[in-house]
Amino acid sequence: MTARRPSFLLLAAFAAAAAGCAPKTAYLWGDYDSALYDHYRYPQDTERYVERLGQIVQKAEVEKDKVPPGLYAEYGYALFEAGRLDEAIAYYGKEREQWEESRVFMDKMIRNTGRLKENRPGPAPAGGEK
Amino acid sequence: MSRRGILLPLLGCLLLSLGCAAAHAPPKKDYSAFRAADPRSILVVPVVNNTNNVEAPSLFLSTLSIPVGERGYYVFPVNMVKRVLEDEGLSDADLVHMADPRRLCNLFGADAVLYVSIEAWTAQYLILDTSVTVEFDYVMKDGKTGDTIWKEHRRVVNSSAGQSRGSGNPFVDLVAMAVVAAVAKAAPDYMPLARQANNGVIHTLPPGPHSTRYRTDELSPK
Repeated sequence: MTARRPSFLLLAAFAAAAAGCAPKTAYLWGDYDSALYDHYRYPQDTERYVERLGQIVQKAEVEKDKVPPGLYAEYGYALFEAGRLDEAIAYYGKEREQWEESRVFMDKMIRNTGRLKENRPGPAPAGGEK
Repeated sequence: MSRRGILLPLLGCLLLSLGCAAAHAPPKKDYSAFRAADPRSILVVPVVNNTNNVEAPSLFLSTLSIPVGERGYYVFPVNMVKRVLEDEGLSDADLVHMADPRRLCNLFGADAVLYVSIEAWTAQYLILDTSVTVEFDYVMKDGKTGDTIWKEHRRVVNSSAGQSRGSGNPFVDLVAMAVVAAVAKAAPDYMPLARQANNGVIHTLPPGPHSTRYRTDELSPK
């Protein structure tokens, strides 16, 4: 019995160390990866995908510097695919504002989406910079 | 006597700390090319599939953003990038991986491209054992020069029988127990293994500009 105790203590120490090492994330990703995973697994369920990304954005936005890189844009694109072009542009703008690294890409997307909106209001097929 | 009584534990502590230091020391790698490129933003492009599992590449793609972002880099939205590349005529991941990295970076305003290929994504069913294997190749290329600035390879194998026996090492067993949930006989879940591989691999990257540890672990010049 007494011989077992050290190994228990050791185990407890390891568990404590492991818990201490448990990563505290820099950003609030929510279930971003599972939302993407399910989107690929059930591609027809686009409504659910938009809704889930929207919820992740909402939760992350509580702390502004905790919004993960790419999240606003990803949500914007989901909105775009759902034909909600104005909202898409708004979220591309948020991405651009929060991350200077996204500027080139977001500028293109905002321009393209704006052009699409002028040409045919309502749902539009996916389109990138040509 | 009393001196020895103090010395021995001291020596023990010293040895322990040495052991810990050795265990935590990262493997020696040349980061000069990576540091010279000093990327801020990373474009994760669709994953090339060298296995028979058709679902693997898109499912795996979903696991890459979080570790790269958490490492301190701006990571482009993977699904949006995938779709935009499709619109650019690069609907096939193999085509994307063959395209000029400078062109890709220019298109998105990215500093570097991360290419990943899946080399294994398999489950083997035996009577008492289910073994799941994932294996990936990671290559990062600089958007300005097109040169490779970092690469890694990772293989993770998870066998259900191996865990129940135990390894004799309590820490290894603890980790194994955490991973055992990954193995379900009916539908093997590759995702925890994929995440485990990514986390290990992405941690070999120096912390990025958004990390509080950016440039803190750089070695002093030789």
